[in-house]
Amino acid sequence: MAVYKKISKDNLVQFLQELTKDRILIAPVREHDLVSFSPAADAGQVDFTFQNSFVPPKSWFFPQTEQIFSFRIENGKYELSEPSLPGGTVLFGVRPCDLKSILALDPVFDGKFDDNYYSDRRKNTIIIGLGCQSVGRGCFCFKVGGGPLESNGADIFLTPAGGDFLAEGVTDQGTDLINKQSRFFSDSSAEQVDKEKREGTDRLLKQPTGLKGDFNLPKLKAFLDANYEIPYWEELSYRCLGCGICTYLCPTCHCFDINDYARTGLEGERIRCWDSCQFKDFTLMAGGHNPRPSKKERVRNRFMHKFKYHEDRYSIFGCVGCGRCVQKCPVNIDPRKIILDLQEVAGNE
Amino acid sequence: MKGIEEQIRATSSQLLATGDVQMVIGYGAGSDNTKTMPVFIKRAEDVGKLVFNPLCVSNLANYLLQWKNFEGKIAIVVKGCDSRSIIRLLQDKQIEREKIIVLGVSCPGQLKSGQAEAKIPADAVVSEAAVDNSGFKLQTSGGLITFSLDEGLLEKCRQCESSRPVISDHLFGEKGFEADKADLQFNDVAALEGAPLEEKSSYWDKYFERCLRCYACRNSCPACSCRECVFDMVEPDWVAKTVNLSDNSAFHLIRAFHVAGRCTDCGECERVCPADIPLRTLNRKIIKDIKELFGAPMPGSDLEALPALSFYAVNDPESQN
Amino acid sequence: MSDFQNPILPRMAFITNIIDETSDTKTFKVEFEGGGKGDFLHEPGQCAMLSIPGVGEAMISVTSSPTFKDFLEFTIKRVGRLTNIIHQLEVGDQIGIRGPYGNNFPYKLLEGKDILFIAGGFALAPLRSLINYVLDDEHRKDYGKVDIIYGARSVDDLCFKRELFENWPKKQDTQIYVTIDRAEEGWDGHVAFVPTYLEELQPSPENKYALTCGPPIMIKFVLQNLQKLGYQDDHVITTLEMRMKCGIGKCGRCNIGSKYVCLDGPVFFLDQLKQLPQEY
Ligand SMILES: Cc1cc2nc3c(=O)[nH]c(=O)nc-3n(C[C@H](O)[C@H](O)[C@H](O)COP(=O)(O)OP(=O)(O)OC[C@H]3O[C@@H](n4cnc5c(N)ncnc54)[C@H](O)[C@@H]3O)c2cc1C
Ligand code: SF4
Ligand code: SF4
Ligand code: SF4
Ligand code: SF4
Ligand code: SF4
Ligand code: FES
Repeated sequence: MAVYKKISKDNLVQFLQELTKDRILIAPVREHDLVSFSPAADAGQVDFTFQNSFVPPKSWFFPQTEQIFSFRIENGKYELSEPSLPGGTVLFGVRPCDLKSILALDPVFDGKFDDNYYSDRRKNTIIIGLGCQSVGRGCFCFKVGGGPLESNGADIFLTPAGGDFLAEGVTDQGTDLINKQSRFFSDSSAEQVDKEKREGTDRLLKQPTGLKGDFNLPKLKAFLDANYEIPYWEELSYRCLGCGICTYLCPTCHCFDINDYARTGLEGERIRCWDSCQFKDFTLMAGGHNPRPSKKERVRNRFMHKFKYHEDRYSIFGCVGCGRCVQKCPVNIDPRKIILDLQEVAGNE
Repeated sequence: MKGIEEQIRATSSQLLATGDVQMVIGYGAGSDNTKTMPVFIKRAEDVGKLVFNPLCVSNLANYLLQWKNFEGKIAIVVKGCDSRSIIRLLQDKQIEREKIIVLGVSCPGQLKSGQAEAKIPADAVVSEAAVDNSGFKLQTSGGLITFSLDEGLLEKCRQCESSRPVISDHLFGEKGFEADKADLQFNDVAALEGAPLEEKSSYWDKYFERCLRCYACRNSCPACSCRECVFDMVEPDWVAKTVNLSDNSAFHLIRAFHVAGRCTDCGECERVCPADIPLRTLNRKIIKDIKELFGAPMPGSDLEALPALSFYAVNDPESQN
Repeated sequence: MSDFQNPILPRMAFITNIIDETSDTKTFKVEFEGGGKGDFLHEPGQCAMLSIPGVGEAMISVTSSPTFKDFLEFTIKRVGRLTNIIHQLEVGDQIGIRGPYGNNFPYKLLEGKDILFIAGGFALAPLRSLINYVLDDEHRKDYGKVDIIYGARSVDDLCFKRELFENWPKKQDTQIYVTIDRAEEGWDGHVAFVPTYLEELQPSPENKYALTCGPPIMIKFVLQNLQKLGYQDDHVITTLEMRMKCGIGKCGRCNIGSKYVCLDGPVFFLDQLKQLPQEY
């Protein structure tokens, strides 16, 4: 059962503070000018003004560096121990694009082999989504099936309304939490929330964006299904640096490496850390064979993954339009432009 | 800066048409009116894609390493600061002088991207940009947008030693930005040097901690020319792949030492860093030390001067004790 | 802590026997504490992640047949960091295992059919699991004729010599064709590259599936020759190798197009392969 309420900014901070009594609060915190999702013992630290966090909130479920196990050799035998994972958590302030990205990551990490490092955290985390107050220069959620006030993926979703927020219990868990803490909320209704979201979205989408042109994602997909070798990829790859920015900062990228470290012969650990298909040794095999030997194959792989493979496997478009790579790629490899370019190539075929 | 842009296009067109070069590496318009991007022009009819304006911050010299085996000659657009990379690459024999044509621009100064984003509306069309002592003036479809130098000028430009290219085959632009003498004294580094140890350590810790180890700094750096980089090696694994303060610090210190004497303070690493880590400050500390110890000029500023760390003299400071 | 099994946590097992196959390849017999293969129940063609904590992990085919009830076997070629150290292990040493992973050879589909196995070098290892399954007394009647064409650079490079020369030839309706690349003293068997031998033998495609594993260059010519002999793409089966880390479709590195070789492979029919981008 959904529930619709209103909450003032002050009450929201107090509500979050209340939640820290029995849960870890992970929220946008500004540190030296960059906003990241970090533990916030004091809800007063939470930043409400950020456009989009530097590192996406995936880092909560899937940290950049994570221990798989540690080991010791005792009496000639290996003793492996798994790290203990955090318990109950509230992940606050997740923007709609990032909410959607979590839905895109879920099927990667569960499925036939459930990755419990991810799933444990996921199950123990209540997600409070936060609608956008403005649309950033690189944002294009609304062009890939989302929107700046879309609640999908949240347990509770907050729509900014004046200085206050309209709160929806999107899932049963979210609704329960609002009901349990009802003293922080005042009444609202489905109609009011709906109206605010519609009007808010209209207002936000009137903001000027630079790149003109409409996306036709089904057409794009059909083109990519049928065309693997096109000169476009090579030309695009010339300027790519093969760095990790776009993939590390992408909320739907999930690639990782596994490495072992042993301080002494008798103890050590196995860790996993983020990895990127843009790095040249990502697919390098023993003996030197590399199935993706040049930047052309690597750049193609990234965009094919975003625009096609993810959809093929999980029926979800792999890019949620958060704009992080748009803003941070040092050489302006911009997925919006690439979609438009590919559509043009498709049109000329 | 339309004049410079037109000259770059005209010269490129001629070089390509006559077959003097087979490719021009320059700046092109980006997907956002506050960004440019590297472009690789192979046909004379495409020179219209080349632009030059105060958003051409990046250093394109690293692409010469990428195109090392290119069959033919390459013309490359460089600003004053970038031109030092060309000299440094020539000194290290990473590139051949006969295979490149340097299109040098006397650079009037470049704009901070954050400021540009804050003031230029996303849908504005910028038609002309000018820079002088009073600052930047951008003619846009939405009217004139101005930035004072204090507000808009990049730190590296303020500290620029050679806005006029130190090497070029074609030179565009009359006069480059003239830095204030006081800004050339490495005062920023000196200020940090003078701080108490703990303050310095926490200054760097807070930055190193948030490094993503995305390697954009390394991959864009024209001084990073090693065929196999220590940070990619698996056996032995000199620096662990784990991303934490200790391994990140190791990464940064090792890299700073590896580019010592080759780093020309082009600032590309700092520009590309998504975590806004002040990498120039780190590398400038070493440039300052080399300068003070060996009396060496800024690396890349003189083709004839042997790089400080590439030759030995009996009276070198390290041989004194 | 989680209440379900952690799929990327290895379980430690013991090496109970080591056979030197060639100068750089050994077969390790592995059992869990107390003997046996525990609940590690694989199908022919599946793989496992083997590891030494503190050193690393590698994907290795289970070369033993599921019909071997009490142990697992892995045939490992020494090529790098981990495999070098595995080669130094001795009987009684521990090794980490997780799996089984990947798809398997379609042994049900093959019932009632003749089977042609074509392998080169140590890549007989993945096929061996299916060969021993098919040739097992309990299953032999379910399958038609079995032909095995196997070659290596030299006699020393032939793996599984006991089975090759003693066990398998004794099985009903089973022909073994062994070849080496260049003639050498003491070898009176066939001398030819595997694809050439295949061309000479001209095995008829009728009611038959062909399964082939080997170095990429061998595979390339074997596939060409099978086509010449009239084998249909949906009757030719091979395996692929990509670099792997997780083995469970998450780390993202073993994809060919939308397929993860660790989940959707390593076994592919030729017609499936032809649908994929040529990026392997
Ligand atoms: C489905 C499958 C089945 C395999 N079956 C066998 C087998 O039965 N016997 C056998 O000896 N080998 C097999 N391999 C190859 C084996 O996994 C590699 O040789 C092994 O990973 C090399 O590890 P290393 O640390 O010794 O080598 P290194 O050279 O030190 O490896 C360097 C890195 O490359 C990676 N790597 C290199 N080559 C491969 C590769 N081909 N596949 C995956 N990762 C690679 C390693 O993970 C390591 O991180 C199989 C590979 C796959 C994908
Ligand atoms: S697209 Fe941009 S961010 Fe991504 S690897 Fe290439 S240069 Fe780096
Ligand atoms: S591809 Fe870029 S815009 Fe799309 S979700 Fe990833 S980071 Fe965001
Ligand atoms: S393959 Fe590349 S694009 Fe896809 S999830 Fe991995 S890093 Fe991201
Ligand atoms: S570019 Fe910045 S974040 Fe990336 S590795 Fe270099 S210092 Fe770290
Ligand atoms: S270290 Fe940085 S400033 Fe120095 S040459 Fe490299 S990219 Fe330029
Ligand atoms: S090995 Fe990780 S996805 Fe296949």
